[in-house]
Amino acid sequence: MNDDREDKLMVKARQLSTSISPQRDLWPGIAEAIDRPVNRSWMPMFAQAAAVVLLVAASSGITWYAVKDNQIVVAEYRPELMFEQASFGSRYTLGSGFQEARDMLMADMNADLDQLAPEEREDVEKSLAVMHGVIVEINAELVKDPENLYLQEMLLKTYRDELALMRKVGGVTKNVMLRNDI
Amino acid sequence: MAALLTAETSDYSGQMVSAINQAKVDEAGLIARAKRSDSQAFEQLYRMHIDRVYGLCLRMTGNTHEAEDCAQEAFIQAWNKLDRFRGASAFGTWLHRIAVNAVLGRFRKSKRERDRIQVVAQDAPVPASINDSGDLRDLSDAVDKLPEGARQVFVLHAVYGYSHEEAGKMLGIATGTSKAQLHRARRLLVQQLENEGYEV
Repeated sequence: MNDDREDKLMVKARQLSTSISPQRDLWPGIAEAIDRPVNRSWMPMFAQAAAVVLLVAASSGITWYAVKDNQIVVAEYRPELMFEQASFGSRYTLGSGFQEARDMLMADMNADLDQLAPEEREDVEKSLAVMHGVIVEINAELVKDPENLYLQEMLLKTYRDELALMRKVGGVTKNVMLRNDI
Repeated sequence: MAALLTAETSDYSGQMVSAINQAKVDEAGLIARAKRSDSQAFEQLYRMHIDRVYGLCLRMTGNTHEAEDCAQEAFIQAWNKLDRFRGASAFGTWLHRIAVNAVLGRFRKSKRERDRIQVVAQDAPVPASINDSGDLRDLSDAVDKLPEGARQVFVLHAVYGYSHEEAGKMLGIATGTSKAQLHRARRLLVQQLENEGYEV
């Protein structure tokens, strides 16, 4: 008996409207979003990160020259960053709040990345990969020289750059979602 | 007279087939142009498909503002991903998949946001642009009140005619889960309509 009623319900459901006109024309908002020139502003960020890599490489070179008789530790690349207290020297500490905020931003950004154009996404991913590499390298250097203020500053700057990039991605993808009715 | 009717019907149906084929050719041409970054061609594709995309978003969210945002986002994403459209499915189906993702993305965004959407949906008046009338309007209102998972499967399978496999793929759930959600939706709808005194 109940099956009969449910079957009738299914027949009725197929009669519900599937084409419904929105109450306003959505095209202007779409046109604005898609006509925007491809945002290549990730490149300066990428270039900035690349410059940091060069600096770190130079620093590593000098360190290597100074201690070339000792065994050199090769830094292992890890996609997920490890926040090792020791690697920040005695002047800086990163609290658990930072880690949580970063994880949240990273999760948001991974979702937002899907909304970017393929070229933009590639640029962001490249920039992030470079930044992650830089962070790993600086950390490795700081393990050997924990009181090096220059490296500490550089590490914090790279973290800030990474956060700025994540916020920027979120900003770009959320722009298209802005409504004027709230 | 009968012969005349047959001839007219045949002629009419021939014209329909021809019009449908023409539309397919036009759509393929528009897609090819849009892939070359022709936004005017994409606008024509938008005009052809917006009602079905918006309809799906409205049925899934139960709220006009959320549906507008989701439909808008779906078309923006479609533009960005157009080079990945290979024609394995109809363009409309492809758009629907993107629209479903847009809706799910908004639902996932945060629990707080999802609660807000549901509260608005409960308070919002029934959109005047929905053309359902009489008992269909009652059914439409009842569908809006279904729990999220059951509503999504019901809309995709029972209203839009997607198979459980297709609905499951769109929603990122197993085919069996889609069937279970449909069973739940049917049962809840019958209960709800009967409680409100409507004949099913």
